[in-house]
Amino acid sequence: MQFALDEDRALLARSTRELLEKEASLATNRQIMESEPAGYSRALFKQLGELGYPSLLLTEEQGGLGAVAFAAVLHEMGRVALPGPFLDVALAIKVLAGSASAAAKKWLARASAGEAIVVLARNETLTSGDVGAPTTSFSSGTVRGVKRFVPSGLQADALIVETIGGLVLVEKPAAGWNAKPMPTIDHAQRFAELTLDSPGALLCEGQAACKAIGEIDLLGALGASALLLGLMERALEITLAYTMERQAFGAPIAGFQALQHRAADMLLQTESARASVYRAAFAAEHQPEQAAYLIAVAKAWAGPAARLVCGEAIQMHGGVGFTWEYDPHVYLKRVKTLEQFYGSTRAQLERALQARGW
Amino acid sequence: MDLSFTPEQEKFRAEVRAWLAENLARPWSDEARDPRHDANSLVELRRAWQKKMHAAGYLGMGWAPEWGGRGATAVEEAILQEELSRADAPQVPNFLGISLLGPALIHHGSEEQRRRFIPKMLDASEIWCQGFSEPGSGSDLASLRTRAEPDGEHFRIYGQKVWTTFGPWADWIFVLARTDLSDRYGGITFFLMPIAQKGVEMRGIRQITGESEFGEVFFDGGLARREHIVGKIGEGWKVAMTLLGYERGGSTLAYPAEYDRFLGGLTAGLKENGLLDRADVREKLGRLVVENEVMRGNGMRNLANIASGNAPGPESSMEKIFWSEYAKRLTDTALDLLGPQAQLQDTHASARPDVNWAYEFLWTRAGTIYSGSSEIQRNIVAKRVLRMPTK
Repeated sequence: MQFALDEDRALLARSTRELLEKEASLATNRQIMESEPAGYSRALFKQLGELGYPSLLLTEEQGGLGAVAFAAVLHEMGRVALPGPFLDVALAIKVLAGSASAAAKKWLARASAGEAIVVLARNETLTSGDVGAPTTSFSSGTVRGVKRFVPSGLQADALIVETIGGLVLVEKPAAGWNAKPMPTIDHAQRFAELTLDSPGALLCEGQAACKAIGEIDLLGALGASALLLGLMERALEITLAYTMERQAFGAPIAGFQALQHRAADMLLQTESARASVYRAAFAAEHQPEQAAYLIAVAKAWAGPAARLVCGEAIQMHGGVGFTWEYDPHVYLKRVKTLEQFYGSTRAQLERALQARGW
Repeated sequence: MDLSFTPEQEKFRAEVRAWLAENLARPWSDEARDPRHDANSLVELRRAWQKKMHAAGYLGMGWAPEWGGRGATAVEEAILQEELSRADAPQVPNFLGISLLGPALIHHGSEEQRRRFIPKMLDASEIWCQGFSEPGSGSDLASLRTRAEPDGEHFRIYGQKVWTTFGPWADWIFVLARTDLSDRYGGITFFLMPIAQKGVEMRGIRQITGESEFGEVFFDGGLARREHIVGKIGEGWKVAMTLLGYERGGSTLAYPAEYDRFLGGLTAGLKENGLLDRADVREKLGRLVVENEVMRGNGMRNLANIASGNAPGPESSMEKIFWSEYAKRLTDTALDLLGPQAQLQDTHASARPDVNWAYEFLWTRAGTIYSGSSEIQRNIVAKRVLRMPTK
């Protein structure tokens, strides 16, 4: 038994951290989130594409590295609250790689290279982060319906739309493509509402579509959990540093037991997330019979845990924690999106129960 | 990264399961609620169970063969404890002797002490209890005031110990006592002494569960032989710290296995009561299932770290906070969802058949206090892991 990453994956995690600290530090990211109309850096996405990051989730034969490497990279991206649809594009790539159509091959190549943004358009309601049965239709080559909370929906070059008839690729520019922003509290992930009455190409239908969606549900939850791990880990680090620096009554506030006990609980939440996320990633790669259960467990834990840790980060910063200038709010806001989508906590609890036969 | 068990480890697990299927007549919960038993007959049942486990080579497994062990790894020990817990086997009455004193004797004891004490500890002919905590010295153990005065080949012990688990049935006690009143740590010595003697009085303490598994011991000049000092005079703190390091290692997978049994019982009850389909109930149950699985994941990680050659560190404090606080949440929720039936004493014919919820609800109140309270564990995490300063 060994918990630590093997040499290759540890190297990948290290070099990813170095790259992100250099090109996408939290300070840089905050600037981009607040000034760049797209909300993220396309140049960085291009660079990540050149380095092979978007296709990490693919099998080794397809040029990927598998679930553990994927989790390790998203863990790093969470640490810097990387803005943009990295996870969403990785999931779209996974779907595209499973389709034999010519359109899929073209977009797979472009998305993998970081040249195009392809994302899934699945949610339709305003009232749940979980995806219900689609009402969007696909007939006679036309997709008709409204998709909400489409990640980077304004910037996407192509969409994989979940319809009654299967998964359908819609390329931009397309007739009847109408995208409107859906601003939320999260600066790192921009959403849009897409009203479509547009030509599309079927990627998969029936059983194949179900299989692809099932896989996306699992890997999306795993990826979101890894991002949540990175977010809470870094929020805790920032908070500890602040409590060492900030003085009250003539000493650093880190010496107060009330804060020490809060910090101990934050560490417990974070370390438990670390064990759960990597255990789930290991299962996704090596123990397929356990993967669905352990991924549900990881996501159901990581969401509330990260919200607690990032909420405590604000509390322990005191008044400045409530200012726009300080960083904790960026983490809390990012966490809320990830907790809500990619299988909400409530949905994951249900999945965990069902996996146990309860 | 590798979180799977090796084929040899899986083989060992299968062996343990087969042995349990053959040798465990009834789960402990069924024994404990059997009206034909009383506190003493239950102890005798546990003693008989310990003899069986010893004969099968399952006690002190990690020790060298010359001390009755088989040099087993931490992973095998954890697998054994997990399987015992899953099967609801009785706890051996000498669990404190074997998990705490045994390793201390092997590390710090003399050859004579090992030969004299270890075999009888393993075959349950001498039951041990621990004399550390005092009425005025719980979490701050080094403030202990029980003192030892030299008297020829002996020391005479004066003072009081409390929360001595299994004390009312113990034959021997290992005691921390002051041989130097001025030196906080260096003035403590580790003594072994028999309980049935003049100057030692053991009384049971009635707990909120109604039973008296804990005791308090009054020392008024009881004798401990010099040759029964473990380590040197003044080294008691060091010996005690070695021993406390063993307090939590092996059970890392046992708690989640036990709570899985509870969750199974809770789910069966909810099903029977027609509540398992209710969304609010499912959310609460789901949360408990997830938290327990997270706990198992933490255990797997700790075990993997130990297996890769890292000593168990302050992670054990986080583990302790997790299981003890979880156990309270679990029983709180179970009593809430199962209704008053779960508060019935388990001897009542209508009590839930699988888990003694009424007892567990009360018993779990102890877990966040004993072996270092949740507050002390948080102090340890803050200071030793997060390196937060002392004010």
